[in-house]
Amino acid sequence: MNYQINHQTIYNYSELASISQNELFLFPRETEKQKVIQSTLNIFPKPQYTRQRVDYFGNITQVFMVQHPHNELSITASSRVMTLVPETPVIAGTPPWESVVQRLGVHEHPEELDAYQYVFISPQTAITSQIKSYAQLSFPPGMSILAGAVNLTNRIFTEFSYDESATTVDTPVEQVLLNKKGVCQDFAHFAISCLRSLGMAARYVSGYLETAPPPGKPKMVGADASHAWFALFVPGTGWVDLDPTNNIMTGEQHITVAWGRDYTDVTPVKGVVMGGGSHSLSVKVDVSADRQCSLEF
Amino acid sequence: MNPSATQIAPTSLLNSIICPQNAYCETLEKPGMARDHWLQLVTTLGRFSLEELNQYHERAARMRYEDGAAFNPFKDLSEPVTSWTLDMLPLPLPVSEWNIIERGLIQRAGLLEKILADVYGPQELIKSGKIPAEIIYNNPNFLIPCHGIQPAAKRFLTFYAADLYRDVDGCFRVLRDYGANPAGLGYALENRMVVSRTFSEFYHENPVRRLWPFLQAFHQDFIQKVLLNHDDPDIVLLSPGPASPMYFEHALLSRYLNCPLVEGEDLTVRDGEVFLKELSGLKPIQGIFRHLADSQSDPFALRKSTSKGVAGLIQISREQNAAVINPIGSGFIETPALASLLPVLHQHLLNEKMILENHPTWWCKSMDSLNFVLNNLSRLTVMPAMSRSVKLPSDLASAIREAPHAFAAQKTVFPSSVPVWGKQGFRSSYAVMRVFAFASAQGFSVMPGGLAIVADEISHLLGNSFDKQQSKDIWVYSDKPLEHTHEIKDVRIVSNFKRGSDLPSRVADHLLWLGRYLERAEARVRLIRSVFQRMTGEHHLKDIPEIPYLLDMLRAQHIIPKLGENEEEFSHFRELAPHLNQALYHQEQTESIISILNQVQRSARNVRDRLSFETLRVINRLGTFSERSFRDPLELLDDILFALSAFSGLAMESMTRGLGWRFMDSGRRIERAILLTDLIYMGVLKNKETAHSNLEVLLEMSSSIMTYRSRYKATFQFAPVLDLLLIDESNPKSLAFQCSQLADHVEHLPKKNELRFSSPEEKICLEMLTSVRLLDLTSLKQGYSVIENIRLTDFIQSITSKMKMLAKEINIHYLTRVPSVPHYSSFPRDRET
Repeated sequence: MNYQINHQTIYNYSELASISQNELFLFPRETEKQKVIQSTLNIFPKPQYTRQRVDYFGNITQVFMVQHPHNELSITASSRVMTLVPETPVIAGTPPWESVVQRLGVHEHPEELDAYQYVFISPQTAITSQIKSYAQLSFPPGMSILAGAVNLTNRIFTEFSYDESATTVDTPVEQVLLNKKGVCQDFAHFAISCLRSLGMAARYVSGYLETAPPPGKPKMVGADASHAWFALFVPGTGWVDLDPTNNIMTGEQHITVAWGRDYTDVTPVKGVVMGGGSHSLSVKVDVSADRQCSLEF
Repeated sequence: MNPSATQIAPTSLLNSIICPQNAYCETLEKPGMARDHWLQLVTTLGRFSLEELNQYHERAARMRYEDGAAFNPFKDLSEPVTSWTLDMLPLPLPVSEWNIIERGLIQRAGLLEKILADVYGPQELIKSGKIPAEIIYNNPNFLIPCHGIQPAAKRFLTFYAADLYRDVDGCFRVLRDYGANPAGLGYALENRMVVSRTFSEFYHENPVRRLWPFLQAFHQDFIQKVLLNHDDPDIVLLSPGPASPMYFEHALLSRYLNCPLVEGEDLTVRDGEVFLKELSGLKPIQGIFRHLADSQSDPFALRKSTSKGVAGLIQISREQNAAVINPIGSGFIETPALASLLPVLHQHLLNEKMILENHPTWWCKSMDSLNFVLNNLSRLTVMPAMSRSVKLPSDLASAIREAPHAFAAQKTVFPSSVPVWGKQGFRSSYAVMRVFAFASAQGFSVMPGGLAIVADEISHLLGNSFDKQQSKDIWVYSDKPLEHTHEIKDVRIVSNFKRGSDLPSRVADHLLWLGRYLERAEARVRLIRSVFQRMTGEHHLKDIPEIPYLLDMLRAQHIIPKLGENEEEFSHFRELAPHLNQALYHQEQTESIISILNQVQRSARNVRDRLSFETLRVINRLGTFSERSFRDPLELLDDILFALSAFSGLAMESMTRGLGWRFMDSGRRIERAILLTDLIYMGVLKNKETAHSNLEVLLEMSSSIMTYRSRYKATFQFAPVLDLLLIDESNPKSLAFQCSQLADHVEHLPKKNELRFSSPEEKICLEMLTSVRLLDLTSLKQGYSVIENIRLTDFIQSITSKMKMLAKEINIHYLTRVPSVPHYSSFPRDRET
């Protein structure tokens, strides 16, 4: 499927901001499941300094600075991405999770060594006995790894309720488990914490999901949102993406932007500003399928 | 104190040194027999009496205190001082032993640099399995944002320090490595200065290797490194600020290396470069000698809410636009587990055997180590494998089994014993040695000396409990005649840097407030002194005509409480006395003398590198008043006045008339003018009827009474008194003098518009100066009428408000620092699906 994605972030400052320094993870990366046709970035006011690079995890990131007084800062990233229908892995055919844990520990192959870095806790994940107990219910001894992960995804989807008011960006996963409430980011962090608590490799994926409008209504521009899920390393299969917010394996409608150990590695827009007083933030995301033109690419 | 620590009588020094069991004795080969390289020292010291040695000890302590090394960072300023206090007795090492240390350290630093270059680059070591991957993947000392950066100075490790100890078997072993911001070099240099002065004769007669050539080479090489990229580099020393326990050495090093001492707030990032915020604008910086922890260095990239670092510094490093020494992320080499890998890595990377052994360390990652540690848990010291700062779980054994790679263990350390001076004689203490190396184009070189850190208990040696540690100067004896070198105290490095007259806004701000607090302290002392002077007899307060004026002033300065509605005025001194005592000593009262003196000290600490050593000594003295007891408060007040005058005198004599001096002096002038207008208003304008009786005390408090007496030799009259205090520009205490000085200062501050009187500050000063010069007091000679009273009141009030306005304008124009606010995009909320 071909998608046109527009992601606009606008900061309004109560007082003049003198300098603003920002880091972005907004350009979708190329993966086996998607091709990136074009990405563009528009920043207003025009920054005096911009650099783009590929980060430690292979993501595309930019830093920029606006160095003159400004009241408003608007960042718009537009991308055209072609996603493929991923092959659905044979769930039952994946190895028992313990053997995966053992292989990761030995990490004989380069991809296992690379995956091994996603076994450890990171700033926004945690390993506690409560989290481990929760995870163990999905991973009884000998359980095939992907079957366990699908089960975990399903339990999170069923037992946790989606509640935007329950958490903030900094809510620890222990709290998420306690309240069983949160948003996609919390569910992803919690699932990652569960898998890592047993020694499996799981990473955080930041991206978008195309959503369908309510039946009979036109789709509203800007009504979409960033999305987040997690990916699990399965030897022989590679990374398998699972979306606990929607209880699915990711499909054609999931667009990957970046991945890392957790949200802190791939925060879409992060900045520091001098002055500016208090600020208000508005984010508009628009993911539209481009069904006519799909053959051109 | 450790029970094994032993008292030693000084007279029979040699015979009385008793070393504890289980420790190599640095001093004695066997009881009663000194090691060769101690012989001279022991013999020399043995000639002195207890009393003489105590004198030496006190002299050394005093020198260090007065140099400012003894500011206590941990407690209140008024608390006694204890950080890394100096023990006067050096720790000598023979050349044969030093050579091993030197070669070992060079080898180790070289290896550690190779490791840094690999983990922040290709990571071949983990790909080939030479080092376990956990050491990168699960290590807070490995900073992901720093990966892929090629240091601008071409070196991954430039400045390196290690803690060594001498084991029971006499071998030196490495206890700990320091890479991010090694501390102690400044203290080592300071110790050398004090000890070489204390034992001047002995030091100069013996071939003790000098530290100065190392510092000079370090300095030259630093410039060279930065020169690779720039012709005319500006280098700064980046410190976390006066709250840091190491601030003293930051100030000291910044002087020796002749680079400004700056804090994170002083620097800003633009266009991929880093700049120093100075009064006249932004100055590009090419080199940063970083004395900040890795995690504090870039709050933006490392997502830390710290105000100490510089947001964007890692990006600057990536762009190679400034040489940061050491590069951010070099704290990786401090990882405890890494040490356990070094013997193998020496073999693998250098194809050499390790010259200096590690302190025995086991990383539980390997099965052998794990089993060994679990079987010997009670005999080993367990620590987190990756960081010393993480707390250990309570059930250690099961935690280790759960995640073996997260733990390391070390053998108990048995450092060597050294004698330390106490008041009654020498006692035995334990020592580790911090030694320093830097990388130049020719490789690493090691400073021939260092800082011996000593403590009575071994456990105090191993933590960061600076207040329980003392330090010693390490003396390395040379087998060759020493090259002639300058003493450190005479060091005047010929600058290779531009020596601008500009200064950081933050420094200007502190200097301005230093000036204001100094003046405020002086005025406060004079006021309270005037009250005390009138209290010596058994007078009823009502009998002293100027008392209401003084009480008014005390109230205006919040020294005594405001009079309630039906409250009666103080009638006896004994009612007033407790308030005055509070005004002197009360710490909590912000306007007490002690509090203001503390403010003086704080401001001075913030600009310590801008003040001369002599000036700092006076400032240090100001801090001791609260500790000393005075029977007579007047004696105390006179002492303080004396110290304050000494400071003013030194400032007049020794400060260059640069911008720093102008800001400090402006602070004084503004404060003095405001206080003077208050004094005049309260004394002669507010209540016209009592005005005449207040003239003498008004002159006294504005310290113009001597001038008045010598000039008029007459009774106190309105016209001449006000003339002297307001209009007489030759009287440094007059309002006109303050105005003309301020006008001169603001004229010389950097500004964009070259036109005179274009800035608001200049306009205000001109207005004030003109109005005071035009003030006509001739009609006062006919008598002090109501009209005169109204005219003068208007004048005084207008000056007061203009002075306050001036202070505000200077602040806005030059000193305002906008706080930086981090904002993170809150996660855009997903819609329910």
